[in-house]
Amino acid sequence: MNNGFINSFSAEWIKKRRSFASWLVLIGGFFVPLISILIFLAYPKQLLGIHASGHFWILHFQKSWQLMAFMLLPMGIVLAVSLITQLEFKNNSWKQLHTAPVSLSSIYFSKLAVLITMLLQLFLLFNLGIYLSAVIPSLLNSNIPFPKYAIDPIYFLKENANYFIICLPMLALQFLISLQFRNFLVPVGAGLAFTIGGLIALSWKYIYMIPSSYTALYFLQTKDNTVPAHNLQSWSLFYFLLFVLLGYWLYISKKEKG
Amino acid sequence: MQTKTPLWQNSFKSHIQTRFLCPESIAIKNKLMYCVETRHLSHSFSSHPNVLKDINLQVPTGSIYGFLGPNGAGKTTSLRLLLGLIKKQQGELLLFDKPFLKQRETVLKKIGSMIESPSLYGHLTAVENLQLMQKLYQCPETRIAEVLNIVGLSATGSKKASQFSLGMKQRLSLAVALLHQPTLLILDEPTNGLDPNGIIEIRDLLKKLNEEEGISIIISSHLLSEIEKLVTHVGIISKGKMVFQGTLENLVSKQQHDSKLIIETSDTDGSIEILSRLQLTVTRENGKIILPIPSKEMIASLNRQLINAGVDVYEMSPVKKDLETIFMELINQ
Repeated sequence: MNNGFINSFSAEWIKKRRSFASWLVLIGGFFVPLISILIFLAYPKQLLGIHASGHFWILHFQKSWQLMAFMLLPMGIVLAVSLITQLEFKNNSWKQLHTAPVSLSSIYFSKLAVLITMLLQLFLLFNLGIYLSAVIPSLLNSNIPFPKYAIDPIYFLKENANYFIICLPMLALQFLISLQFRNFLVPVGAGLAFTIGGLIALSWKYIYMIPSSYTALYFLQTKDNTVPAHNLQSWSLFYFLLFVLLGYWLYISKKEKG
Repeated sequence: MQTKTPLWQNSFKSHIQTRFLCPESIAIKNKLMYCVETRHLSHSFSSHPNVLKDINLQVPTGSIYGFLGPNGAGKTTSLRLLLGLIKKQQGELLLFDKPFLKQRETVLKKIGSMIESPSLYGHLTAVENLQLMQKLYQCPETRIAEVLNIVGLSATGSKKASQFSLGMKQRLSLAVALLHQPTLLILDEPTNGLDPNGIIEIRDLLKKLNEEEGISIIISSHLLSEIEKLVTHVGIISKGKMVFQGTLENLVSKQQHDSKLIIETSDTDGSIEILSRLQLTVTRENGKIILPIPSKEMIASLNRQLINAGVDVYEMSPVKKDLETIFMELINQ
């Protein structure tokens, strides 16, 4: 792998230390599981119902994804990506970065790689949170049984991979927009408008054209166990590639670099 | 009152003593006349046309080049062009005798820069700011402690850069610029916002870097007085045009050339005759005699001759233009 990219990635990784975005990943990963724990402790019947279903982990996983897929994950991506990109604008550091002996490609792709790695971190924390949200209530309330059921690793890996892939176009689009505007409110506003717009248009027949709706769309597909009309993963990869290349072109074509 | 030498100045001294000029920089010094050269550089912004007009910058290798001009004259735009932060529109731009765009990364490895306000990550400490730059420049990790020592910020610990005073931020930016041991420093108004002590400290530091490590320095400022004690060469820019470029001696000799001696006596005509006999170019202005300023000894001799000729001398005053006046005249012409 290109040395410039690795050096640039290491530098970007240091930059995110103690940033709001890295806190957001931590909070975002455990927010829904924490809410679930509180609900299960207040209303144990809900968790007992999942225990009685016979597909404990699958049902618990799907229920945990409900809130995440519709609102929190798209909003989290919008905020985290904008915050990471904003670090350069806020600290007036584009000029310092662009006078370092690193190619523009390394800078662009290392920033993108850091964002993708952070998304991966969020997924890992969220899955850990899902597990803990099933275990902790049983430890605190003796009426709730401990979830001793076997976990199907293939199912979890497949579902996580699918959710991960369909998040990528939104991440790339948000990265593209955030690189263009100094004012933090512009990319955040645009990202939220895309997210809400995607939710409003969920029943539209061409909804597969709007990548910000993919997490909600995928959740509905898996919940209802319906045969998908469109392959969201393929669309996601297509959009991801499109946004990454378009963003790269816009970035290197900028007349002023700090 | 005895003043205490700042700790960082002592550590800087020891740092200098242990450091050697790298062979590359010696080679550059021997071969290259100019480390930075622009030819017919012009630039326009859509909102501000003709920000730079035909700029021919020549920064001799090993010099401290003061790039002077009032606010909005085009200094920062020139420096941003040199560093590739703005796309070049017209003219040629050579750094270390190489076209910048063709050798961007090789050239940038040799340059340390600080453009306008400090560019630091406020949520990180001084060490973390330097760590990430160390990754980008791929220089030894030991340099982090060294440059912190040089700028006197070794003891900042876990304090975040956003909590630093402006002076500390400027110093940390300078540490970033020095981290990879550059052969050229480009500093845009590095003493902005510093108190007089801070200005003197930075000035001393730059002088030492230049004299003892052979680093070429371009330093921009809108105040001549701020850098006249530091620079060896001066470039003055006004309204996007270079109005002067040369050594500081050139500028000083311009000052002497423009200085005059005013003499008022009881007999102006007689005095003019005496002075003309000495082959001095004299003019008359409001009943006073004006001539280019001669040496101190010559002034005394003139005085003696006038008195010996029976002329009463009422006034003999040398009028010297200071550098600031010449600078003001140059930028206002």
